[in-house]
Amino acid sequence: MTFSTMFSTMAIGMLRSFGVFALTLLGSMPLGMIVALLKKSRFALVRVVVSAYISLIRGTPLMLQLLVWYFGPFYLFGMNIGSWRFPALILGFVLNYAAYFAEIYRGGIESIPVGQYEAAEVLGYNRTQTFMRIILPQVIKRIMPSVTNEVITLVKDTSLAFTLAYQEVFSLAKQISASQTSFMPFLIAGVFYFVANYLVEFVMGRIEKALDYYK
Amino acid sequence: MLNMNRRQFLSASVLFAAPTMLGLAGCGNSGSSSADSGSAYGEGYVFKHGFDLDYPPYSYIDDNGNNGGFDVEMAQAVCAYYKWEYQAVPFNWDAKDAELNAGSCDCIWSGFTMNGREDDYLWSKPYSDNTQMIMVKKDSGIATLADLAGKKVGVQTATSAYDLLQDEEGQAELAGTFDKLEVYETYTIAFNDLKAGAIDAIAIDVTSGNFLMSGETDYQFLEEMLGSEQYAIGFRKDDTELCDLVNAALDALVEDGTYDSIGQKYPEIYDYLCLGK
Repeated sequence: MTFSTMFSTMAIGMLRSFGVFALTLLGSMPLGMIVALLKKSRFALVRVVVSAYISLIRGTPLMLQLLVWYFGPFYLFGMNIGSWRFPALILGFVLNYAAYFAEIYRGGIESIPVGQYEAAEVLGYNRTQTFMRIILPQVIKRIMPSVTNEVITLVKDTSLAFTLAYQEVFSLAKQISASQTSFMPFLIAGVFYFVANYLVEFVMGRIEKALDYYK
Repeated sequence: MLNMNRRQFLSASVLFAAPTMLGLAGCGNSGSSSADSGSAYGEGYVFKHGFDLDYPPYSYIDDNGNNGGFDVEMAQAVCAYYKWEYQAVPFNWDAKDAELNAGSCDCIWSGFTMNGREDDYLWSKPYSDNTQMIMVKKDSGIATLADLAGKKVGVQTATSAYDLLQDEEGQAELAGTFDKLEVYETYTIAFNDLKAGAIDAIAIDVTSGNFLMSGETDYQFLEEMLGSEQYAIGFRKDDTELCDLVNAALDALVEDGTYDSIGQKYPEIYDYLCLGK
């Protein structure tokens, strides 16, 4: 296999990895906020359910969760899961990452002093206004480093997509390495991951800077 | 042993949500597969070939970046014979049983050892022999299995060679004489460790070993073999009709020379192909 064939085959794999990455972020970042707010719900039942979800997701391997989402409908209900592969994959990733994002958001929200809520109430802000205009902008600034960490982890976690036979860049690296008896595919994969994460760092750095308007 | 544990681990993972599903699995199966007789496998039937792309030269990514290998070409030839539509399902080997049971693929056809799993699947006729060998450096001074005492031996996890070295009725006793049995995720890494001198020998299928050693001159197999077995195609146990059809097609492909001509493209395994012999 020529280097250019190897490179282009793996570049297609990297695009497939990016697809999982982008869809996961798109789904899990907003969902995480909903989960974080539900965890602070007035209703005890909602809090219990949300806490159980977070414990379960964080306490079990993502690989196992992907298997459950994909094969579950067949083993439980005997359903035909022919076209369910990709949706199950994205569902598994989104629900997993939403749990982690929710905890990051919650940490950010709880770091805001209670005095600010009191001040906002005195000034006549209602609950929604207080959250959207005063609390949330500060939360976003504070959680940026943790979010960047999580996003970088996600770039590398996309390799777990092969659990459901989704050929992303790292599974291709392993397979090409086996057929070519060479380490080169792993090096190429390493470069791809590094470049992708460098881009993530760069973009997140720019966002942090843009948010740093008080300094 | 690990193989078994993994499989249990995977079934357990799918059992995760409900403990009563083994019974249900049977029901689902009969609905999704060969419910009708006769007409189900007519022209245009989509044959879903489940395989591991990590297993050259039976199934792997070829030099052009496409799916290739002896098993892939044979499966395509069977599809051409019946005018079926070939669909590749290059799954994760760890999830092969769940994929097969759930109907995501019709068979496991990927250098799949039938020995020791006779009752777990419905098997086609065996199409390739395979032996497990010990690969060493030519100048290592290791000439017999007994010389491996006190040496470091590498093996890939979830392979026949690995199972053999764990099996009390196999070569577990021999493995006990090693200094250490190093278990690798892939043979590529084990082979690099052998080159680097980190291990003294590799326990491996002869076909995979030939593939690794092609283009290398410093390595050889010991004459004594570790064990022997056969490769066949594994189907779901109730898929008798499909299994019979594939067996019939294999006979026809041996008859018309296709099996031999595909085999000649893979010199590492050609001598081990056993259909029609």
